[in-house]
Amino acid sequence: MIRRGRLRRNKPEVNCREVGKVLQSYLDNDVEDDFAEKIAQHLEACKECGLEVATYQQIKTSLAAKMPEVDPDAIERLRTFGAQISGDPTEA
Amino acid sequence: MFEHAGDAMRIEFIVEKTLERFGPAGPMEPSHAPETLRFPRSFPRCDPLPLTALIVSRRMSEPVVDDKAQKEAFDRYVVPEIEVLYRVARSITRNPTDAEDLVQDTMLRAYRAILRFDGRHPRAWLLTIMRNAQINRVRRKRPELLRDPDAAMERLADEDSADLGPEAIVVESQYDAAVEKAVDALPEKFRSVVELVDIQGLSYAEAAEIMGVPTGTVMSRLHRARTRIRKHLESSGAYVNGRPT
Repeated sequence: MIRRGRLRRNKPEVNCREVGKVLQSYLDNDVEDDFAEKIAQHLEACKECGLEVATYQQIKTSLAAKMPEVDPDAIERLRTFGAQISGDPTEA
Repeated sequence: MFEHAGDAMRIEFIVEKTLERFGPAGPMEPSHAPETLRFPRSFPRCDPLPLTALIVSRRMSEPVVDDKAQKEAFDRYVVPEIEVLYRVARSITRNPTDAEDLVQDTMLRAYRAILRFDGRHPRAWLLTIMRNAQINRVRRKRPELLRDPDAAMERLADEDSADLGPEAIVVESQYDAAVEKAVDALPEKFRSVVELVDIQGLSYAEAAEIMGVPTGTVMSRLHRARTRIRKHLESSGAYVNGRPT
């Protein structure tokens, strides 16, 4: 979590430079809520920063869709293995 | 997590004192285990340790204690994480068979160590075990990695991507395919953090555990990796930000 000092949090607005520094943490929901709100307000008003966020959000969305399917048989084999390790006679 | 709070700490203490007295090589029968020991005052208060349940193995590093507590802790902390462990193992081994072996190795190590685990952040604990297990596996396969693991890993990554010349990075009509190529072109240390956080959905802290680096390093690598992906997409003419670059 990005920690912001009280003075900074109380600033009415954030500028492009400040947004640029925390943009990716913002995309990962790793900034404090009140600071995130200020960033969101800035993004609505600033086209350049808005496009920048949209670019990285598009990349993140594409990557998140790549989570491979997990072979259920492999998981079942591992669960059985775990049961054997701990000596559960009903699973082994 | 223990039936007797502080048992694991006491057992470690007993093993340590026994090693001091008998040394690591000599045979060690249960009857030789010290039955009364003055435990340090810093140890947590607890019921008397059931010394009769303590069997110090001949290796002396593996005290065998309460099977029931061990099984319960294993079922509680390890079994629920099996799928996550397998997903992460797939990411770092890039091979289903190796991934399964790595998870089995991790589970065995976790079972042996479970009574020393404090019960906090089981996923992070298991990812650390997995990381160590993977390091050992890689070292067994590539002994030269012992000398400089980081440099060697980068060499391996270079070897892996040696056939990916600029001409291979062609413009893809599909944005996702272009992103995939961009990820594949990343150096290993950047690619792995993208896979763990952006694809597998681990937190910064969990990724830091499996990679054995500080959380700040994960963040900086991730951010640099995304910047590289973006530049790669731009240079390949992929559609970025709803508009061609």
